[in-house]
Amino acid sequence: MRVAIAEDSVLLREGLARLLGEAGFDVVAQCDNADDLLLKVRSYDPDVAIVDIRLPPTHNDEGLQAALDIRSQHPSVGVLVLSQYVELGLALKLLAGSAEGVGYLLKDRIGDVEEFVAAVRRVAAGGSALDPIIVQTLVSRQRPDDPLVRLTPREREVLELMASGSSNQGIADKLVITVRAVEKYVSSIFGKLGLPSTGSESRRVLAVLTFLRS
Amino acid sequence: MVSRGDREEGELFTTAPKPVVLGAIALLGCAVPLRSVLVATTGDDVDLIAVGLLDWVTVPYILAGAVAWLRRPESRLGPLMLAGGFAAGLSALQLTHVDGLYTVGAIFDILPAALFLHVCLAFPDGRLRSRFEEILVGAAYGAALGLQLLKMSFGVFGPRNLLELSAQPDVARIVQHVQLVSLSAICLVGVGLLVTRRRQAGRPRRRSLALLIDLFALGLVMIAVLFTAGTFAWPGFLAIQRATLVVIGIAPIVFLLGLLDARLARSAIGDLMLELRADPDPADLRDALSDALRDPSMTLAYWLPDFRAYVDLDGREVELPAGNGRTATLIERNGGHVAALIHDGALDDEPQLLDAVGAAAGISLENGRLHAELRARLEELKGSRARLLEAGHRERQSLERNLHDGAQQRLIALSLELSMLEQKFGDRPELQSRLDAARQEIAHTLEELRDVARGIHPAVLSGHGLAVALESIAARAPLPVRLSVELDARLPDRVEVAAFYVVSESLTNVAKHAEASGATVLVARTSDGVVVEVVDNGVGGADTETGSGLRGLADRVEALGGRLRVWTPLGGGTRVQAEIPCA
Repeated sequence: MRVAIAEDSVLLREGLARLLGEAGFDVVAQCDNADDLLLKVRSYDPDVAIVDIRLPPTHNDEGLQAALDIRSQHPSVGVLVLSQYVELGLALKLLAGSAEGVGYLLKDRIGDVEEFVAAVRRVAAGGSALDPIIVQTLVSRQRPDDPLVRLTPREREVLELMASGSSNQGIADKLVITVRAVEKYVSSIFGKLGLPSTGSESRRVLAVLTFLRS
Repeated sequence: MVSRGDREEGELFTTAPKPVVLGAIALLGCAVPLRSVLVATTGDDVDLIAVGLLDWVTVPYILAGAVAWLRRPESRLGPLMLAGGFAAGLSALQLTHVDGLYTVGAIFDILPAALFLHVCLAFPDGRLRSRFEEILVGAAYGAALGLQLLKMSFGVFGPRNLLELSAQPDVARIVQHVQLVSLSAICLVGVGLLVTRRRQAGRPRRRSLALLIDLFALGLVMIAVLFTAGTFAWPGFLAIQRATLVVIGIAPIVFLLGLLDARLARSAIGDLMLELRADPDPADLRDALSDALRDPSMTLAYWLPDFRAYVDLDGREVELPAGNGRTATLIERNGGHVAALIHDGALDDEPQLLDAVGAAAGISLENGRLHAELRARLEELKGSRARLLEAGHRERQSLERNLHDGAQQRLIALSLELSMLEQKFGDRPELQSRLDAARQEIAHTLEELRDVARGIHPAVLSGHGLAVALESIAARAPLPVRLSVELDARLPDRVEVAAFYVVSESLTNVAKHAEASGATVLVARTSDGVVVEVVDNGVGGADTETGSGLRGLADRVEALGGRLRVWTPLGGGTRVQAEIPCA
């Protein structure tokens, strides 16, 4: 899998490149600013671009803007945004319209190599990766007549994994249950929340997010 | 007490003649009608209307001249008007049957026109303003008197003209044409000068003064028309002559009315004293003074020595006028500047009035000055509070930035390094678990650092704006929050920060004290700023003074020139509303 990295801290950029190289990725581009990234995405056509949300010159929203540009101009390229703060508002901006091939993770997650690499692969393959903090914020959000109280603790766990982009196989591995059991939980959750079931795993991310946010 | 720009003293008439003398002169002038009656009753073919009109001109000029001279001895205007009146009176002698008197009258026939021009141009202080004007008036006198004598020496005035040397009517007619045409032209140039002055100085504020100058211009135009009509023997000459005399006679009457007007204004000082004794609010002081000066455009500027500046009552700096028809009269008290009256330039003509108003208003102006000083200091304080807040904000922003680019990045890189090591030592579980424990430690540290950084400055706010930043605040609140942010563009940094803290602090208060089941956050643009509102449906009765953080929020909002209001009736929920101005 081909990957492009945009990160202005040399230490982190090179660490990431090394990590992904060792995990079998082909790191086709390393850049320290958004313009360079857009240029290299256009010329190297990677499967996924990893973008720091704070990039020069102002370190405000250049990274996010680059991520949104790639999503609209190169829909086949997955975009994984890394940040030292995760914000619901930014997640909503990134996922506006579709959760396909998009990820938004806390930068700290790099430290958990296995999970991180899995997330990069998922996004590169058109899936989603949403930081657990976002999902927890949404799940624990106060709402009148909270429909989530109707879920069992197990169903809540499955919901959170589902919302953060995990596939059924991923959920099964994590909870050490069978894929069939996961499927049963998923359909039960959709039933209890009154959500129409959706085919693809990234589409159900958006459906769950939309539900949790309303 | 009152100082004013340089004023040259007239060098010729610095003192008025004794009132008795002036009175005698005036009496003499007023005897003119008697003389006219005499003329009218003795002559057979006397033009009564012409006699009456000449008196109509003579009497007012003599009266106005006497009053002006008495009132303002240093001005040449009084003597000049007296001269005009007497010249007009003398010209009426043409209507008598005595040859000697007739000759005198004929000599003075045209002179009143030149004198009128002189009065028009020398108004109000009796001096001509430029060399050109002096030459123009000199030329008028030359034409009116010199050419008149020349003309008379060549005849045309009939047998009663004692000055006739040789009867050459053709030459006399040519001289008369030159005389009248040149005087017409000179009068029109005079009109041009008046118009130019008006254009430069603007219309005088006092109505009587404006009317007077209009009459001057009209009179000059009519003289020009009259002389032209005389030269070319136009029909209707007689009617034009009468109308001209009527207009020229009105001017001194308006002048006298203007003096009366000024006298009335001075009596307003008495009213002012009474009003000031009631110790008016500094805000009403200006109105009282402007009433007394009868200048609605008057403003007050207070002198603040500490700021070395003039300010208005609200402490805002004002510039004293330089020209443009506005004058500043400085008022001093106990040897120090107190204030300046900024008024219409037309009032320069009434220095006594300005002196009196300044003296009467002394103490009240002192009060006003203290008030203005307080406001100025308050403004200064506001400014420094805003600057402090801004500086603090910048500092926190850069602190957060340093944390982000320094410690946090390094820790993440370190965690990554450990994780890769951990993978390398897959065959040594005991080493692996120690590396894992170290990594967990770093993860906790990063979490704590992130909270610290967020507390120092919400980076998401400066990076992505209010709408994005508030989304998380609303989601994390321990009660359902309906969020509505209607902004189509980013706001200035300091406004966003203030709005952010209004919402986050208010929601914290709601969670702690309100016992509410829901809250609404509303952010919207107004025409001149942004309004932020946090409403809950809790118990109300919030403590707005101590501990609730509302005071701190109010400080923050007010430092930006905004206003924080809180409605919190018992049992009726709480509404916190901040209005923050921004362009």
